[in-house]
Amino acid sequence: MTTSMDRLVAAINGEVIDHIPVFCNLLDQGAKEMGLSIEEYFSNGEHVAEAQLKMLKKFGHDNVWSLFYVGKEAELFGCNKIRFAKDGPPNVEDFVIKSYDDIEKLKVPDDISTHPAFAETAKCLEVLKREVGGKVPICAYLTGSMSLPAILMGMENWIELLMIGPHDVRDQLLEKCSDFFRKEIEAYRKAGADVLVYSNPYGSTDIIPMKMFDELSFKWMKRDLEPGGLNGVVYYVGGARLNSVAEKVIEEIGIGVFYPSPLEDISDSMQLIDNRALCAGVINDIKLIDWTPEEVRSEVKRIVQSGLSVGHKFFFGTVVMPYGIPEENIKTMIDAAKEYGRLDVMDI
Amino acid sequence: MLDNVIKNYTEAVYDTDRVRAMQVVDDALKQGVSPEDIVFKVVIPGLDLMVQSLSEGFDTNLAQHFMTSQIAAEITEKMLILFATPPEILGTVIIGTAEGDLHTLGKRIVIGCLKAQMIEVWDIGVNVTAERFVDEAVAHEAQVIGVSAMMVHTARGENGAIKVRQLLDERGLNDKIKLVVGGAPFRYDPELYKTVKADAWAENGVSAASVIMDCIREVKK
Repeated sequence: MTTSMDRLVAAINGEVIDHIPVFCNLLDQGAKEMGLSIEEYFSNGEHVAEAQLKMLKKFGHDNVWSLFYVGKEAELFGCNKIRFAKDGPPNVEDFVIKSYDDIEKLKVPDDISTHPAFAETAKCLEVLKREVGGKVPICAYLTGSMSLPAILMGMENWIELLMIGPHDVRDQLLEKCSDFFRKEIEAYRKAGADVLVYSNPYGSTDIIPMKMFDELSFKWMKRDLEPGGLNGVVYYVGGARLNSVAEKVIEEIGIGVFYPSPLEDISDSMQLIDNRALCAGVINDIKLIDWTPEEVRSEVKRIVQSGLSVGHKFFFGTVVMPYGIPEENIKTMIDAAKEYGRLDVMDI
Repeated sequence: MLDNVIKNYTEAVYDTDRVRAMQVVDDALKQGVSPEDIVFKVVIPGLDLMVQSLSEGFDTNLAQHFMTSQIAAEITEKMLILFATPPEILGTVIIGTAEGDLHTLGKRIVIGCLKAQMIEVWDIGVNVTAERFVDEAVAHEAQVIGVSAMMVHTARGENGAIKVRQLLDERGLNDKIKLVVGGAPFRYDPELYKTVKADAWAENGVSAASVIMDCIREVKK
């Protein structure tokens, strides 16, 4: 029987076994699945793992997540105030960097895998690895050094430091964030994650100018990823566009999987990448809240057929998957991606 | 001469080069350009050019928007002290992030651009209740309430812009106060502003200032 991992490996090799891999980022939805509040749900790694497995069975997609919420990375740096919502993702409420002096004092954990703030994630990964390891890709979310400061000091303060702050302070922070990233990716790999989403919005020219990408972002990306290698690494820029940097990231870093913005034309991304890497066709999932199931099917068909018309190193994906999306639309989307993601139904 | 100043200033801003932009202004002052002309004939047209570029699909980025706003606000603040007579304030805006939302960057970009255009701005912070948005708008006789929301649940939630509209309805203020929204969810769903019953939305902070100016004009008509 074909497993999700078989599908992913086939896609990496430009083949489609039964259908393309269908990735769906179901995170906060797990709380609903478990009948818990979002805060209770994320307090326990076993809850998260159990919900991921339940949702996998219910919706039939091809991946599970070890991500709780993005602020988890800030907790590893000592953040102890997360704001939980009833109907959306938790957010960092108290930034660990409040002044430039705090950057000097910022301490990168020696060993992330044994850090108390990683304990629940480790528990979650242990269950996922035991239950579906090797059969279903287990995803982890890791923020690149250029973007991590945004959750340590806030986006506003980070862009201010980046654009008009002292360069030595900026570089000290980037070095600490890069050191953290290197340890974090090692911890996740050791714990069993095999799809490592390298999240780097500040590696998109929607956020920073190309000159800054070339001179700063790129350098830190290379440093982040150098020691651990690129196996399983996915380039994701937080839903922003990445076509303008794809060539350089492929040729000079060698990342093998790209996750473009839903605002980019998938054919353009596929043509740019030109079979040199696996590429996701990403749906604008914010609209899944209001679309009818027919509209969902039609949009999935458009994305999947556009991608497959260019090449087979292709899979389907979502971005933030807001909590308010009706289950019917999640199911419709996944079923449609599997249906249109077969080579025998291509009407092109 | 002014044409050159505008050109050099705009290029510096596009290059996110604050030091160069400041130098252009300093040099212009030394050459006899008045502080009033710096603001009204250099800085504001620079903002307009950025808005025009955005509307024509020219690729800009968040860092450029941030720097455009910061440079414009900083120069305007410096020039205002040197004005022969205080400029006319064109309108008043209340701005904050929706209840439950702690993201401040978009708000800061909008505020910088508005201040450079002689709009009085009251920044009421983050995680603001709908009641406070409306109360502050009434207290300061604002023509516009700007609600910034970076997350789907704060953009669409019952305690965000939707509730601000409900309160404006209940208090009969819809003709006096316009509701403008912005933030990532609105960019990914350009029809969302209608769902939350806002009067207008903006795709980014620089354009937001222009949208807000239009709303002020409409209220004052």
